[in-house]
Amino acid sequence: MTVSASPAPAVLFPRPSKRIRGRSIAVLVFLAMAALFFSVPLYVLVVTSFKTMDQIREGAIFSLPEVWTFDAWRYAWDEACSGLTCEGLKRGFVNSLEILFPSLIASIAISAVTGYALALWSVRWAGGFLFLLFLCAFVPFQIIMYPLIVITVNMGVYGTIWAVAFIHTVLAMPVLTLIFRNYYKDIPPEIIKAAIMDSGSFWRIFVEIILPMSGNILIVVLIMQITSIWNDYLIGVTFGGLGAQPMTVNLANMVTVTTGTVSYNVNMAAALQTAIPPLAIYFVLGKFFVQGIAAGAVKG
Amino acid sequence: MPRVSFEHIVKKFGALTVLDDLDLTVESGDFLVLLGPSGCGKTTLLNLLAGLADVTSGRIMIGTRDVTDLDPKDRRLAMVFQSYALYPTKTVRGNLRFGLSASKLPREEIDKRIAWAADMLQIGPLMDRRPAQLSGGQRQRVAIGRALVKHADVLLFDEPLSNLDAKLRTEMRMEIKKLHEELGPTVVYVTHDQIEAMTMATRIAIMNGGKIEQFGTPDDVYERPANLFVAGFIGSPSMNLLPATAEDGGRARLADGSLIDLTAYAFDAAPSPGAALVAGLRPEHFTLAAPAEAACRLDLPVRHIERTGSDALLSLAFADRRITVRVTPTDAAHLRTGDRVAVAFPKDRLNLFDARSGRRI
Amino acid sequence: MGIRWSRLTPQLALTPAVAITAIAFIGSIGWTILLSLTSSRRLPDYAIDWTNPFRQYDRLFADVGWRISLSNLIVLAIGSALAIVFGFVLAAMIERERRGEDFFRTVFLYPLAISLIVTGVAWRWIFNPALGIESFLHSLGMTWVSFNWLADGRTAMYAIILASVWQSSGFYMALMLAGLKAINVEIWSAARMDGVPLWRVYIEVIIPMMKFTFLTCAILLSLGVIKAYDIIVAMTNGGPGQSTWLPAYFTIKALSAKGNLAFASAAAVMMLAITAVVFLPLVLLTAWQQRVRKGAAG
Repeated sequence: MTVSASPAPAVLFPRPSKRIRGRSIAVLVFLAMAALFFSVPLYVLVVTSFKTMDQIREGAIFSLPEVWTFDAWRYAWDEACSGLTCEGLKRGFVNSLEILFPSLIASIAISAVTGYALALWSVRWAGGFLFLLFLCAFVPFQIIMYPLIVITVNMGVYGTIWAVAFIHTVLAMPVLTLIFRNYYKDIPPEIIKAAIMDSGSFWRIFVEIILPMSGNILIVVLIMQITSIWNDYLIGVTFGGLGAQPMTVNLANMVTVTTGTVSYNVNMAAALQTAIPPLAIYFVLGKFFVQGIAAGAVKG
Repeated sequence: MPRVSFEHIVKKFGALTVLDDLDLTVESGDFLVLLGPSGCGKTTLLNLLAGLADVTSGRIMIGTRDVTDLDPKDRRLAMVFQSYALYPTKTVRGNLRFGLSASKLPREEIDKRIAWAADMLQIGPLMDRRPAQLSGGQRQRVAIGRALVKHADVLLFDEPLSNLDAKLRTEMRMEIKKLHEELGPTVVYVTHDQIEAMTMATRIAIMNGGKIEQFGTPDDVYERPANLFVAGFIGSPSMNLLPATAEDGGRARLADGSLIDLTAYAFDAAPSPGAALVAGLRPEHFTLAAPAEAACRLDLPVRHIERTGSDALLSLAFADRRITVRVTPTDAAHLRTGDRVAVAFPKDRLNLFDARSGRRI
Repeated sequence: MGIRWSRLTPQLALTPAVAITAIAFIGSIGWTILLSLTSSRRLPDYAIDWTNPFRQYDRLFADVGWRISLSNLIVLAIGSALAIVFGFVLAAMIERERRGEDFFRTVFLYPLAISLIVTGVAWRWIFNPALGIESFLHSLGMTWVSFNWLADGRTAMYAIILASVWQSSGFYMALMLAGLKAINVEIWSAARMDGVPLWRVYIEVIIPMMKFTFLTCAILLSLGVIKAYDIIVAMTNGGPGQSTWLPAYFTIKALSAKGNLAFASAAAVMMLAITAVVFLPLVLLTAWQQRVRKGAAG
């Protein structure tokens, strides 16, 4: 290997030089093809949802609509049948929103307070409890499903949005608590000591000192939770009964139980309508979304 | 201002005993410095007083109140932390205000106190900034201000100056000393820096291995160290500790055979002849010009000269070890490595220790 | 020692979390295990026949649907592992070629923001035999290709694998990218000074350095596969026949459709057991890592 006359490039080695080299082109081509593969389903969803059924029957799945029509979108939102009712997806949309807010507030409030207490207050059994939460975070839903149904029935909330919100809170609690706890334990211990000497009040320190320091993690957790609650199917279908089905359940019923001719454009429009809220959040706040993945994945 | 007393304090972390049956009383208005190497238990003792850790057994009194089982906020203490521990999301004013949140003071009183502290520490112009916008020295002032507004009976400091640069440290040292003189609270101050201890304290407790080695005024501790640990720990460069053997006629013989005259020494208990001693000789007490009342005279070769600007430190070969001697730069100017130099040590500056127990005799 | 209020408040604040853990997790798991030992049908019946408490498990392992579910679980796990490989390749390429990092990351990760029901709908449409990609390729003259995977019990699982690789590759890419970025740049310089070809640097240096990231990915993938349910509902609803059943799907179907509570509970307990088997290495790994860290610190 020849030693370069200028010493700088060796240090900068992994960064590409300004000139595009052959290997760079190959890498970019591969990445572009991968990007194409990832885009295909979304592209197909979008173009199909704007086509007429006549054009769809011609079979060119990748072609652009000859006439861009919003009929399928309107029909999916307002009239499409899901199960026995034919009110479109808007019912599910409203249900999803009604489920979302209490779930978010309850799950984040409980987890943040629990994480704060475990991280910053010397609770004797904190270590054991954290380990238990760590185990709970991996428990498959099916093993607690029937008891939770019985519990919500006895609470008198089964089949309402409250049951769905309650179960979302329960299932998110272990992971979110671990995330908050890991975040809070990096707060310098002297700050909490100073606060204990100044105020001594658990709640006051939380509200005045700790919450204002949690901005970043709150956004990360908020985005994580919005996407996971909005995209949930299993909890909604199990606990929502007929009255509180979220949008995903509506969509699934719409596309699987349709009788007669299948309106693919309506199905695709409905799928897109379900996907738009989390996608919008993802495209606007992608940075926090990635942080959420890292925080959620490295739980220990 | 109340006195603070620790009575039979034991603190264990699991199987590890950090403090073992410790007794200590800080008189009202005293500035006590807890000084010792890291891991000696000084910070633990401070945390016990603050209520941030629980004693395993024993009792802590502030004035006539037993505070052993009180919550930190109920102990009427204020503390300044090493990392300042300012609340990052609050302004300077918010930081000072939160310090009073446990007290049920009326608004006007709180504002008055904040204004008073701001004035005292000259942080008035910084009141609406956040900690991140302050320099290290400014943060330190805010941290002190947060402690002062509480009008606490007892002020605690946990190595508050160790994150500052040398110049600021000197300034803040004087400032804290001045605050103590003006306001007169009882102060407990933890540090490992002996300059801070010597300059600020009215009392020093030197700790080692969970025990108090010596408790006294700075002069006591410096001039009359109670044992070999204190003798070696206090003073920089540290005291020369030379093994010696007691002989008849108020003399002791050093390792190289030379004699020390002990006749002027104020013994607690005179050693019997043949007893193993350690003679403690501070580097700065040696003289080049022989005084009339010298305890010993030594003629030794120079091994090394270290010039610090204000002084020169001579490292002299003595038997199998070195003796450090501090002289003025003028005196050192003509000296070279390998020269022989005659030094004398005055009788009244001598320290003697029992070699076996390590105690002062 | 007196009871201090400041000691009590944090413990009181933990009450909801402790209650949830005790009732909704530990208690409910115990409850389901108990049910799995009974003969409950539509309603719980807590009498246990002690002569053969494991009869539901006997039934379970004799059940064709359960056997299909288990073998599909393995097929799906192996197939989905492609997502880790794919994720690593994408991450390595993005990391080498920094141009367009944000764009590519955004594109590769967006499937994760979408409900699996939507994913299923989209892929089912693509696999539509009459109007989907097959007819598109046929119209291009490539009449030999067959993409009618969903209609055939032998290929339906592959369609599901493809959809889940599409959905999860971005996730592994993000984890791998974080792992790659944590590697000291000087490693690359050192390798270049030594004249080692790039592919050997990856195989011999980078991948071994990232073994914890790979292990994390593998465990998360296994847990994801065990939980896989939505995608099945949206793409095949278990069909054709029982060919795309998975344990999660089997259990829910047993609970809701058959009204056979004890039997479904036994299936759920088996799911927990499978999770525990996957989970065990993670616990050991965490403990080991902590010991290593402690050893390094002290």
